[in-house]
Amino acid sequence: MDWQTRGRLDEVRRAAGPIENTVIDELLGRKVDRRTFIQRATVFGLSASAIGTVLIAAGCGPSSSTTTGKVGGRLKMGIIPPPAHDIEPHTFADQGALETGSIAGEHLIRSAANLKLVPELAVSWGPNSDASTWTVKLRPNVKFQTGQTMTADDIVTTYERLVSPNSGSQALSAFKGVLSPGGTTKADSLTVKFQLDNPTASFPYLLSSTTYQSIMLPANYRLGTFTSKPQTTGAFKLTSYTPGVGAKYDRNPDWWGGRPPLDGVDVTYYTDAAAADAALLGGTIDLIGQIQLATDRALFNNSKIQIFGGRGATHRQVPMRVDLNNPLKDPQVRQAIALTLDRPAIVNTLFSKYADVGNDTPWAAVYPSSVGEPDVPQRKQDINKAKQLMAAAGFSNGFSITLTTEQTGEIPQLAQIIQNSVKAINVDMKLSILTATAYFDGSQLGPPSGWGNTPWLNAPINITDWGHRSVPNVFLTSALQTNGVWNAAHYSNPQFDAAAKAFIGAISIDDQRKYAKQAETILLQDTPVIFPYFYNYLAAGSQSVKGYYADPQGTVFLTQTSLG
Amino acid sequence: MLSVLVFAASQLLPGNIGRNVLGPFASTNDVNALNHQLGVDRPILVQYVDWIGKLVHGNLGMSLEYKVPVVSLLGPSLINSLKLAAVAFVLVVPLSIVGGVFAALRRGRLPDRVITLSGLSLTAVPEFISALVLILIFGLLLNWLPVTAAAPADADLVTQIRYLLLPSLALVMVLFGYIARMARAGTIEALDADYTRTAYLKGLDTTTVIRRHVLRNSLLPTIAVIATQMGYLIGGLVVIEKLFNYNGIGQRIYTAALNKDFTMLQSGVLVVGIVYLSATLIADILYSLLNPRIRYAGVE
Repeated sequence: MDWQTRGRLDEVRRAAGPIENTVIDELLGRKVDRRTFIQRATVFGLSASAIGTVLIAAGCGPSSSTTTGKVGGRLKMGIIPPPAHDIEPHTFADQGALETGSIAGEHLIRSAANLKLVPELAVSWGPNSDASTWTVKLRPNVKFQTGQTMTADDIVTTYERLVSPNSGSQALSAFKGVLSPGGTTKADSLTVKFQLDNPTASFPYLLSSTTYQSIMLPANYRLGTFTSKPQTTGAFKLTSYTPGVGAKYDRNPDWWGGRPPLDGVDVTYYTDAAAADAALLGGTIDLIGQIQLATDRALFNNSKIQIFGGRGATHRQVPMRVDLNNPLKDPQVRQAIALTLDRPAIVNTLFSKYADVGNDTPWAAVYPSSVGEPDVPQRKQDINKAKQLMAAAGFSNGFSITLTTEQTGEIPQLAQIIQNSVKAINVDMKLSILTATAYFDGSQLGPPSGWGNTPWLNAPINITDWGHRSVPNVFLTSALQTNGVWNAAHYSNPQFDAAAKAFIGAISIDDQRKYAKQAETILLQDTPVIFPYFYNYLAAGSQSVKGYYADPQGTVFLTQTSLG
Repeated sequence: MLSVLVFAASQLLPGNIGRNVLGPFASTNDVNALNHQLGVDRPILVQYVDWIGKLVHGNLGMSLEYKVPVVSLLGPSLINSLKLAAVAFVLVVPLSIVGGVFAALRRGRLPDRVITLSGLSLTAVPEFISALVLILIFGLLLNWLPVTAAAPADADLVTQIRYLLLPSLALVMVLFGYIARMARAGTIEALDADYTRTAYLKGLDTTTVIRRHVLRNSLLPTIAVIATQMGYLIGGLVVIEKLFNYNGIGQRIYTAALNKDFTMLQSGVLVVGIVYLSATLIADILYSLLNPRIRYAGVE
């Protein structure tokens, strides 16, 4: 390292706090690679110039690639399925609604490719020494589409709505145990402080588009007016919306980011994948927001179509109730069921190359904190061991059980694969495949009020779809920790709870991996939930679409997209 | 009677309206409060009287899912369905009648067998198959017709018809065999009738006999069949509307049923019922116009 580089690195180190210096040490000490460093540096708010300096000092200089697309034209986009309810950002819970809202909306931070965090309405952010308080500096001179200038008051109001238990917020699961009402305060007109319930090293991800409900709106926003009046800060204004039919967006001439390439976006809603595929192949639309191999095979290996892939943590969970008086109560039986699955074959059948094999823990391969082999062995199909476990549990002759699930994507096929697989250990599995509406119907108040009466939180064994998260925190707190609001297995293990809590608060990558290993080992032993795979988020477009990035979370980000 | 049936059927659907609107995390108190506010916790008879009272004043209520007046969503959907039904009707009715009559006139010969067999075969093919085949051939391979049915907002009449051709052809494939078979049977019966023989014996030429005596009698059952298909053409095209992504009333009703949007569902089904009854009434009037025996039966 030459003296100039050394000098610049020292400057960065002096300006950075202890947490940021830990991240710098991880790269210089070769504990993480370049990509992981960039991910983590952006989480802790290191500026782009500081990241560049550190990369040069580490001998892996920054690379940049900017593409300039053709200016003009309207993108014709297909969204499947249509929003199921009215469009109200803090209540977003379905794919159609979040795609519709995200074209116009913006967040404090954008979660970009490879889990990198990019400033959007925030220009910088940083933690205190234990990551229990985070300070966010806002971008100045940002105007809402109403003409008002964005200030800290707007951010405080938006976040208070997101964490309020009485607002109908669908972001409560993400913020539970992290941020409570009153925790968001204004420091000055362009600075917001977040006082957390517990230290959370990955909090910037929660502030990002990963929490897709956190679209910034003016403090005087009136509920129910999102579609009747443009009032976000984004590059595109929602100018018309017809439920179940489509939406139109026009370029926002006052956007803080300048002029996006597209003049506007025309969205058409589809209820049938075949119709959307035909529309794309026939040139009626340019882009489909989300596709799947199982339902959209016509689009793959077609020279007219390009597939946009975002590697992420979207997955299916197979929770097995640990608290019912049936054979699944025994962890040996749950392990045996998990051991019957030929995961590489399942991935190949259902996703071809667009998925990673799961290991019955929420740590997807995409996470830098994922431990992997040899420290955490990959679970593989082992019928002999499965039979031994069944015999040890006293069920060598098998038993009957009903798996309940939803008619969504490839899930019915996965259910059939599991049904066939467990025949090897004499389990007679019946399938109850409901519509998604029926599957999620009923109440799901969450502990301590109980899990309500909804099928997906009360069936003995089920399959549920889970979206991508940039960090596994929500999977840990909601699906696996004791009294988690979406803990469909009703699993409870204090040792796991402690490991998960320590993981969420851990700052260095070494500590994160240490606690991840503890938690993963416990989960492999207890096997409350089977995680068969993590699949890529896929979108499809015509060859004329340039600069589109398929966000694993499902948000649609079009400010750099062009036609040709 | 129709309104009673529709209202009663919607009451049988499972699900709590308040829970559905507020979502799974809402407290029981909030759910009960909303149900009270919407009036769905009142006795069913009171709810029915209230609903029908508003209905006769043109108030279809608010969509529970989208929080907008039902009429603002159902109205455009009904118009779209009527457009599609009209194009399909214009194609399928003449084609089927001509095919059926032609087959009857060539009874037992090759044209008869070809028309009858192909009609039956097409009817037996599920509409989602025939629609996909049409999309594949005319939309994607030949690129002659749009693969979606919804024309751009500013499209003129010709463009709108062009967009509706492919779904209409799919409907022609479904209905041709059925209507043509009825037309064929009616024509054969009329051809064998005494009055046709009499017409020939009194020296009329074949064209006149067919036009004045055969067709007039043979089309009576065909009209009844066509009338019964109008309800299907307007409200029952869920599959076609899905495949061609058309915002018709069938898809609206289907989505309302999936989302438990009860106000939309009740109104949608009622509208389709009214359309069906209207089509049947028009068919009865046509029937009586074509058949004097029906017209004078009431007088006697």
